[in-house]
Amino acid sequence: MAGLELLSDQGYRVDGRRAGELRKIQARMGVFAQADGSAYIEQGNTKALAVVYGPHEGMGQGWTQGSQLKGARGRHMQDRERKTGGFVLEIRGSRARALPDRALVNCQYSSATFSTGERKRRPHGDRKSCEMGLQLRQTFEAAILTQLHPRSQIDIYVQVLQADGGTYAACVNAATLAVLDAGIPMRDFVCACSAGFVDGTALADLSHVEEAAGGPQLALALLPASGQIALLEMDARLHEDHLERVLEAAAQAARDVHTLLDRVVRQHVREASILLGD
Amino acid sequence: MAPPVRYCIPGERLCNLEEGSPGSGTYTRHGYIFSSLAGCLMKSSENGALPVVSVVRETESQLLPDVGAIVTCKVSSINSRFAKVHILYVGSMPLKNSFRGTIRKEDVRATEKDKVEIYKSFRPGDIVLAKVSNYLLTTAENELGVVVAHSESGIQMVPISWCEMQCPKTHTKEFRKVARVQPEFLQT
Repeated sequence: MAGLELLSDQGYRVDGRRAGELRKIQARMGVFAQADGSAYIEQGNTKALAVVYGPHEGMGQGWTQGSQLKGARGRHMQDRERKTGGFVLEIRGSRARALPDRALVNCQYSSATFSTGERKRRPHGDRKSCEMGLQLRQTFEAAILTQLHPRSQIDIYVQVLQADGGTYAACVNAATLAVLDAGIPMRDFVCACSAGFVDGTALADLSHVEEAAGGPQLALALLPASGQIALLEMDARLHEDHLERVLEAAAQAARDVHTLLDRVVRQHVREASILLGD
Repeated sequence: MAPPVRYCIPGERLCNLEEGSPGSGTYTRHGYIFSSLAGCLMKSSENGALPVVSVVRETESQLLPDVGAIVTCKVSSINSRFAKVHILYVGSMPLKNSFRGTIRKEDVRATEKDKVEIYKSFRPGDIVLAKVSNYLLTTAENELGVVVAHSESGIQMVPISWCEMQCPKTHTKEFRKVARVQPEFLQT
């Protein structure tokens, strides 16, 4: 859109935020009773839901929805089906993919057909979803202490209900809370945030309007306590002189997210212990 | 029980390795103990040794059978070399998702291992107490083996020796590897 100022002269963005300001974040843990762990997060208008199953016995294929069975025919495997809230899981008895010394982390990303401005035809299975799933898997393999659960599998399933920019970050944050809710031991939280660069200023937590404008976008997933980067990804071109600033903005935003999630988790743990009685 | 000291989250630095030794729910890095779970911090004061620092969750997370644990399983299928079982309970805690295990022919008994016949030790549907060892299960102890079994006519059988069970109605005897359950655990 011509004439749309991403950063005004007074330093305000399109939605009235400052350059380094995050959108409002609300999060809840334990939203599904039947899953091992679940969480829901809203970052501004981006809404993501994460569900975690595991650690359980190493399975063959992992997930597939309903009738789309891939590679199921002609293999000697036992099928067991389990229904959870509308998604049908196909669990097979083959232990072919279980790793002998650590747990296998299996991630799937799906965005609802109603999540974007125009209705999406394929909720999952397309290239972007597969890539996101792979990135989530890399991120969580770095954080989860997989050596504690050899020959097991941990399934992380993330669904985006409304996409308004920063979907990767929202997915990672939701998945972190869900993994915590499931009681799977992790090295540290994984907090993620996106960042961009406009007019010489680094912007943190991009919304859809800012992403669509075409500038460089950086997505960063950080382990806050040690400052280690779990995943860093960038689209478009950015001059290397500016990289330092954008990276710092994203890191600071991720640490702010951590402060918030920290509060959410402590609140949840406190409530859980009050309910169970001590 | 002493009230918990405080709540902690993964990545939180708990203490020095000189002040405590790491327990469950923690990991060590660079000489410090960090938490790996979100839960309550527990410090158990040992006499003489360092206190064990551990993080416990209120709700039970997924249990995994450890090596040496006694598990209760149900036999799902047998063949001449091994029996496949579904693990239902670890100790006295039921599992949400059942694991699968294998009891090899050599692990059924402690003595006369080569003369064992699986068909005379287990049948599909029997409830068996076994011990976990290295991704296999073993029943090679007196206290391990078949606990509940049904005869071919469907009636629950009564154990009469370590290798036989009898059906109370038809009085037919069937071979099983019977567990010698401690008397205080028997319900009559």
